[in-house]
Amino acid sequence: MEPDAQLVHDCLQGEGSAWEELVRRHARRVFNICYRFTGNRTEAEDMSQEVFLRIYKTLPSYRPSFGAFPTWLTSVTRNLLVDHYRRTKRDRVTDSMEDVMPQIENKESMARTPDKLALESELSAQLQQGLSKLSPELREAVILRDLQGLEYGEIQTVLQVPEGTVKSRINRGRIELAKILETMGLRPN
Amino acid sequence: MNWNCTNSEERLSDYIDGLLTPAEAETFKAHAATCADCANMVAAVSSLVTNMRALELEPAPPMLINRILDATVGPRQEKASWKSWFAMPGRWVQPRFVVGLATVTAAVLIVIYTFGFTPGKLRKANLNPVDAYRAANREVHLKYAATVKYVNDLRVVYEIQSRLQPSNEPSPETTPMPEEQTEPKTSNPQEKSQTGPKPGHSQARSYAMLAAYVNQGWIETCNASTRLAFFTTSMTATNRSAR
Repeated sequence: MEPDAQLVHDCLQGEGSAWEELVRRHARRVFNICYRFTGNRTEAEDMSQEVFLRIYKTLPSYRPSFGAFPTWLTSVTRNLLVDHYRRTKRDRVTDSMEDVMPQIENKESMARTPDKLALESELSAQLQQGLSKLSPELREAVILRDLQGLEYGEIQTVLQVPEGTVKSRINRGRIELAKILETMGLRPN
Repeated sequence: MNWNCTNSEERLSDYIDGLLTPAEAETFKAHAATCADCANMVAAVSSLVTNMRALELEPAPPMLINRILDATVGPRQEKASWKSWFAMPGRWVQPRFVVGLATVTAAVLIVIYTFGFTPGKLRKANLNPVDAYRAANREVHLKYAATVKYVNDLRVVYEIQSRLQPSNEPSPETTPMPEEQTEPKTSNPQEKSQTGPKPGHSQARSYAMLAAYVNQGWIETCNASTRLAFFTTSMTATNRSAR
């Protein structure tokens, strides 16, 4: 039995430590999906908590036939993110200047960190700027494929769309993201 | 097949992910070699994908896991039990804790060795409560007496005590101040009787009170420190008695 499957089994048997281990194993990944999708650390933290709360409540209904536990976890995360996106859509229609200002501050503060770390942080921040300008459909496809490293089949399970649509979204997402970054003068080397 | 820019754009991810057949890949490359726009697009997207895949995951906020566990299983009471302190060495092995522990240990060792106590020389017989009490009592009294002598021998205390003497034993150091000498000569005898005791006498008394007060304070302070060191001293004494 896979470690995750064993942990889920132990968890359903009432072992509190198994649940804690599951949370420790996957919290960072869930937080990263939320952070890349929302672009806001606080919001991502709240969303991650909500994801695990949902998982905790629905764990008894999980069956291995739904797919591997990480894929199921990703599906729950993605569905909550889409719900959250729809719920907060009205609040987000604001002047783009508000988005630009904190990013400039980030770039300046990162210039003071050590070289490699600074480069990676800068790349991460630039990427976040570009991702926030992509449509949610393309953004989630790129995040799952290139930042989370999921296979096409797994993404298909998570998004519940045909394989052709998955491929098309990933392709369009990558091309648009590259164009956005180039327009912003932030082409990664 | 007539390969154009639209084909290149549609199959770009397949090319990057290695999903094209060898023939398709060759055609793709041949087109990119002749089309600057497509070559530019391939370079930009390939670079982006490489960078995204190399990117480390962002670290999760430090309190995220605790927040999740609190929200799901509730505040964990069992974490406060003694087992958890041994089960989670990470909680202890933190720079600030290690530095703090080292400082406290060094301070305790310095105090212990200053009082002459050597833990290695401690015998079972030293732990007899009667002997330990007697030895400790003797040691404390000796320390107390030594402290009182030390305080009394201090120059400032000696000076103050010597000022107490003028009324009984006049000495060159305790001669009254010039004003005090001249004042009785110039002042009216009536006024003198109204003012009560002699000014010089009054000043000497206030000096005496001050000296007694300071002296008492010194002794009290030293006494308190001596009592605070009672335990360490008692251990030293029992140690010595064993030798």
